[in-house]
Amino acid sequence: MATETPFTHIDPDTGIAIPEVDVPSQKLPPGEWLRKNLFNNWYNSLITVLLTIGVAYVSWRVLRFVFVTAKWEPVRENLTLINIGTYPRDEQWRVVAQVLIWSGAAGLGIGAAVAGAKFRALQAGMEYVVDPALAKVKRYSGLLLLGLVFLGFTKTFGPLILTVVSLAVAYALYWVASRVAGHNVGLLWAGVAALMVFGFQIVSGFFGMGWLWMGVPIAAAVYSVIGRNETIEPRRLRLIQIGAALGVLVVLFVVYLVVDSVGVEWDEWEGFHLNLLAAAIAIALSFPLGLLLALGRRSSFPALRIMSTTYIEIIRGVPLISLLLMAQFFIGFFLDTRTPLSLFTRATAAMTLFTAAYVAEIVRGGLQAVPKGQTEAGNSVGMAPWSVTRLIVLPQALRAVIPAMVGQFISLFKDTSLLLIIGKIEILGAREIIHGQEAYRGFGIAETLVFAAFAFWAVSFTMSRESQRLERKLGVGER
Amino acid sequence: MSQTTLEPPPDVESEQIAWYRNVETLRIVGQVAAVVLVVGLLFWLFNNLLTNLNRLNINTDFGFLSRPTNFQISFDEGFDPRSSVWQMVLVGIKNTFLAGIVGIIIASIVGLVIGIARLSSNWLVSRLATIYVEAFRNIPPLVIIIFFGFAIFTFGPFPVLEEATQISWFGSDNTALVLSNRVWGVPSLIAEDNVGIFWAIFVFAIVAAVGVAIYRTRLSDRTGVLHHRVRWALGTFAIIALAGHFIVGGAFSASWPVVSENGRRIDNGFVLNFGYISTTVALGLYTASHVAEIIRGSILAVPKGQSEAANAIALRAFQRYRYIVLPQALRIALPPTINQYLNLIKNTSLGIAVSYAEITLLTKTSIGNGRPAPQSIAVLMAVYLLFSLTISFLLNIYNRRIQLVER
Repeated sequence: MATETPFTHIDPDTGIAIPEVDVPSQKLPPGEWLRKNLFNNWYNSLITVLLTIGVAYVSWRVLRFVFVTAKWEPVRENLTLINIGTYPRDEQWRVVAQVLIWSGAAGLGIGAAVAGAKFRALQAGMEYVVDPALAKVKRYSGLLLLGLVFLGFTKTFGPLILTVVSLAVAYALYWVASRVAGHNVGLLWAGVAALMVFGFQIVSGFFGMGWLWMGVPIAAAVYSVIGRNETIEPRRLRLIQIGAALGVLVVLFVVYLVVDSVGVEWDEWEGFHLNLLAAAIAIALSFPLGLLLALGRRSSFPALRIMSTTYIEIIRGVPLISLLLMAQFFIGFFLDTRTPLSLFTRATAAMTLFTAAYVAEIVRGGLQAVPKGQTEAGNSVGMAPWSVTRLIVLPQALRAVIPAMVGQFISLFKDTSLLLIIGKIEILGAREIIHGQEAYRGFGIAETLVFAAFAFWAVSFTMSRESQRLERKLGVGER
Repeated sequence: MSQTTLEPPPDVESEQIAWYRNVETLRIVGQVAAVVLVVGLLFWLFNNLLTNLNRLNINTDFGFLSRPTNFQISFDEGFDPRSSVWQMVLVGIKNTFLAGIVGIIIASIVGLVIGIARLSSNWLVSRLATIYVEAFRNIPPLVIIIFFGFAIFTFGPFPVLEEATQISWFGSDNTALVLSNRVWGVPSLIAEDNVGIFWAIFVFAIVAAVGVAIYRTRLSDRTGVLHHRVRWALGTFAIIALAGHFIVGGAFSASWPVVSENGRRIDNGFVLNFGYISTTVALGLYTASHVAEIIRGSILAVPKGQSEAANAIALRAFQRYRYIVLPQALRIALPPTINQYLNLIKNTSLGIAVSYAEITLLTKTSIGNGRPAPQSIAVLMAVYLLFSLTISFLLNIYNRRIQLVER
């Protein structure tokens, strides 16, 4: 098919379709470039001159603030407080272990993505193009800068060593994962999930229902590996698969029963660590819930449709704070438990319920964008309705909404700052503890805020860059 | 045997489909099951809530709304602690809207400027606009509000009220601005006795302005003269309103802010507290970064042929923007922009961090004073919900209208 229509790019934040125009990027000689971009007519020249003076002055003031006048002592002396709040200090090894394990998971995940891309490129008969190193550095510039600032503020070598080791772990797992054959990518993702859960439990402890969270990705991996065996008759194979998967769960159940170690109470997770954890958990939980709500809203069952729509519209109509206040005061009353849930659990539940409604609307947008012919084609080859949704509609819909989804998750991450209002000590709460100390009362207020803002900015900015890259890579809308 | 015989189609009607495979039955069964599940879940949740509330001896009715609040609202001397919780809710709604409306104005103006600047042919201008957008939209609005509230006010460069900076009105003795780290004073208008007649004239001025605008439009339709209806209408309105003001002998007099003797508060004028300024300015600047992206996207979404056609009929750059590109772009931009406005109004609840007395803060304070939390939060949510649903209802009507217009 000829691509006569121009490629459109759907802006993830606004949902506006922008026709993309190919601008030939040509390198101009410096003089020409200046004339074209800064001095093309008299008023532009005037603006350029005035702005240059303004920018020079502001940059000078900013640089002087950052390097000369700013009182960074409140930040420098309280880095641990900012990072983990009043988390018990003799349990810090758990956080260190978590950082290492999650670095490994990140490395494995990126490796899995690369292996998957290589595999798809191979199938499509194309060459897999590796991004130049400079592009990678640019993409992660926010996080790199945050890391450098952190390390610049530390006084011991511990954080530096931790950074180097975790990067090494991540790279090692990346190296291994990116060389795995394409059809094993699913196993890598199961590994990522298991590592994520493990990293979570190393802090929270191995008890209660932990075996289930840990067991699901491993059991799925075992199930899929055994399923590859082609020598056994299918019906027996299916039995062996289910048996092995259940076996994994049983073994883990017993192990957790024996180990039964409680780590650090959830309510003791504080500082920037809390912001990241709460966001990660709420993201992981709100996605499936949002997906179900979106399918419900698009369902042909009027009852399901009305219920999903009501939920989505109510949640989208109220601010997150009202839900968090609900979590603070009485969300626990909805359950039949006498032992109160931890505030962390209640707040994360509120954030999950809130984000799910927005995720549902985003997914609905994606579902609407899938042409009706796709469903009809699926039906016409005799697929069951649920299979049509799962195998044909959803993959296309989800691919189209990845950028918007990342945008929503960035917004969720920024919203973790609201935990301050219900009295959780996240990064802004840690700031208040700092200024409660005698030495820093009313001292360096702007500096600690700038630092907190920078921490949020670095993570959000990197995520949004990454989503832009994903969007280009997936060629969203280019059909 | 090349002859093919068509088998008669199996008689579908006569073939009994088992009830559990009948799609029609399954549809009904599935829906009933879903409804029963959800209703059952909701019933269980509310039953638990009521049981728990009864166990803790918390009232489950809304009677508290008509009882006195028993607390003072900060920066609001007019509020009587003996007034009912209902009145507190109304004060909260008023403050939420005051912050929302000014925030929306700031966000629209800054957002429009930054959005157009992002597309500037001047490299420096577009770069600076990009930096603005990327900086503001990746920082939580709460951090920006707290920055304004505590790093710029409270602990910032402004003096305490006793030593407030006072800026006089162009050489006169009157103070036009009182700047301190907690409150700002600005001049305001005080209604005189004869203001009633003035309001009548004011309404007449509005009617006259609308009439003139309609007349100019018709004239333009008939003769082809440029209508300039906005200019004409505003002019008519200003002339009649000003004339009315002088005819009744001054309906308003200016009230200039003055720091009181003991240096504790500002008398006269209009007093803005730091929570209000922080919330509106911070949210305005934050939302502007999102509005700017919408404006930029909408301008890019206008087909390039429109600009080229404008060039072809020799319109100047300003005319091209004013008459060709922007009207089309704003139509695309309107729905997402209104969403942002809604977000801004919901975000005014963050004013809680700088103790701005909007509805959320008042609800939280009132819960802290022993009012039942579930009902209080239900009222809070109902207020926001009512507003959001009204706006999205209007937006849906509007969307349907422009879709009809556009084939």
